[in-house]
Amino acid sequence: MSVRRPFEYIGEAIRAGFDWAGGISLLLGRALLRGVQRPWGIYDVFNQIVALGIRSLPLSTLMGVFVGMALTWQFGEALMGFGAKNAVGSAAALALVRELVPTLMALTIGAKIATGVTAELGSMKVSEQIDAIASLGADPVKKLVWPRLVASTVTLPLLNIYGNVLALIGGAFIADIVFDVPAEYFYETYIDELYPMDYISGLVKSFTFGLLVGLIGCYQGFQTKFGTEAVGISTTNTVVATSVAIIVFDFVLTTIFLPVG
Amino acid sequence: MAPIIELRNVYKRFGDNIIYEDMSFGVEPGETFTIIGGSGMGKSVCLKLMIGLLPYDAGHVLYRGKEVGDMDAENLRELRRNVAMVFQGGALFDSMSVFDNVTYALREHTKMSDQEMLERARECLDMVGLGYDKEILYRMPASLSGGMRKRAALARSIAIKPEVILYDEPTTGLDPANIERIGHMIRKLQKELGVTSIVVTHDMPIAWKCSNRVAMLWQRKFPYIGTPDEIQANPAPEVHEFINGIYHEDQD
Ligand SMILES: Nc1ncnc2c1ncn2[C@@H]1O[C@H](COP(=O)(O)OP(=O)(O)OP(=O)(O)O)[C@@H](O)[C@H]1O
Ligand SMILES: [Mg+2]
Repeated sequence: MSVRRPFEYIGEAIRAGFDWAGGISLLLGRALLRGVQRPWGIYDVFNQIVALGIRSLPLSTLMGVFVGMALTWQFGEALMGFGAKNAVGSAAALALVRELVPTLMALTIGAKIATGVTAELGSMKVSEQIDAIASLGADPVKKLVWPRLVASTVTLPLLNIYGNVLALIGGAFIADIVFDVPAEYFYETYIDELYPMDYISGLVKSFTFGLLVGLIGCYQGFQTKFGTEAVGISTTNTVVATSVAIIVFDFVLTTIFLPVG
Repeated sequence: MAPIIELRNVYKRFGDNIIYEDMSFGVEPGETFTIIGGSGMGKSVCLKLMIGLLPYDAGHVLYRGKEVGDMDAENLRELRRNVAMVFQGGALFDSMSVFDNVTYALREHTKMSDQEMLERARECLDMVGLGYDKEILYRMPASLSGGMRKRAALARSIAIKPEVILYDEPTTGLDPANIERIGHMIRKLQKELGVTSIVVTHDMPIAWKCSNRVAMLWQRKFPYIGTPDEIQANPAPEVHEFINGIYHEDQD
């Protein structure tokens, strides 16, 4: 028995993982199916974009500037050793646009969006508000999941673009101040290094992450059991689930895009 | 008359927790049918089965002869347009004003103008005794007292003028005058609009006064169903003890 135990646990965990993935795919299917039917709930979607997007601007600003600064500093130091500090713009560009900005943005802003959604829908679940929506003849998936899913999928790429601009500014600042590489030069080499595919790969990533965090946030909210502490539990699980999903999908998308770029 | 809502040989369990086993009863159109029974025995579950908020494992749940478990989204929508539920905890939408709460079903199912909705909202709030406060329509649920929230939730359920209303403990937590008012409202809706009511309650005076029939949940079924007089005269000890609130210390 003591030998079988760990295997049973692993089996159990794998099955739970599959159940979870199945449930989440089902929710995505239902949201898309119902969402595309009229009325589209433009008003709800717009409200959610404001709620999820605009309120994430301060954190996005901070993220963008500081990632740009930190990475440029690191690369600058390394390149200076080879006497190649002028290449700092080219070096920073790819890492920021293709990888760091979309991923870090998703891990912070995305996690914030997902947990916010889980906490909101979870407390609606435990106070029977989701049942109440259904009992009044409306569809909770259409009313709650669809607008949040659209909003997070639209918002994260937009914030990604915004974050890229700020990362560039942060990088240029450090290049100029610390490494004496003129900001204009940094800018030119930075932009020169980037091809349309690099922007696309960054955007596809943040689009995917946006979809994932919205979906996980909603699913965890709907799965919340009874009582207020259940909301805390599902919110914590949301953080873990979004982080894992983002890291895994980041790797998958990177392997897809590297040969292309 | 054919029952408007009928449960026939219903089985329902949550994992190992068996709630109903071979449970059956029917509710006649226009009657007020009260469900009593111990806490945690499945009264709320019973109401949720009726409008398809919870699935059942076996048996039949029928609304006007149609199987609720087989209904597609459109049929369920229609069912819920006609059968409204007042949740035990109220379940008002926190993010919406009282007006938006009360008119939710109207916006979902009708094309009423804002003015018509405003009138309907006022009318319903009047009925539940919240009409005195002219500002209430624009208040958020969080700023209401527990009893006010409960009554606003009642108003939300009656706004669409459903033919059946499922009340889950509508009077719990209200003051005596408001309990009386809710009882009066249930009877008024029955008399004037022919509304069928299914009321889950622990409030025995209301049960005796408002109901045409009372059903007691006991051991996963409804073995005791009858008029208030019949139930009160029922010799079974569990019925007698339940309705008179008799408690034996050696019972636990
Ligand atoms: N969605 C659910 N999932 C799992 N178990 C549930 C669910 N809903 C209810 N239960 C369980 O079913 C049982 C009956 O619950 P229900 O809410 O119907 O009781 P009740 O008779 O309404 O009690 P009360 O008078 O206290 O409201 C309880 O043991 C409860 O834990
Ligand atoms: Mg209950």
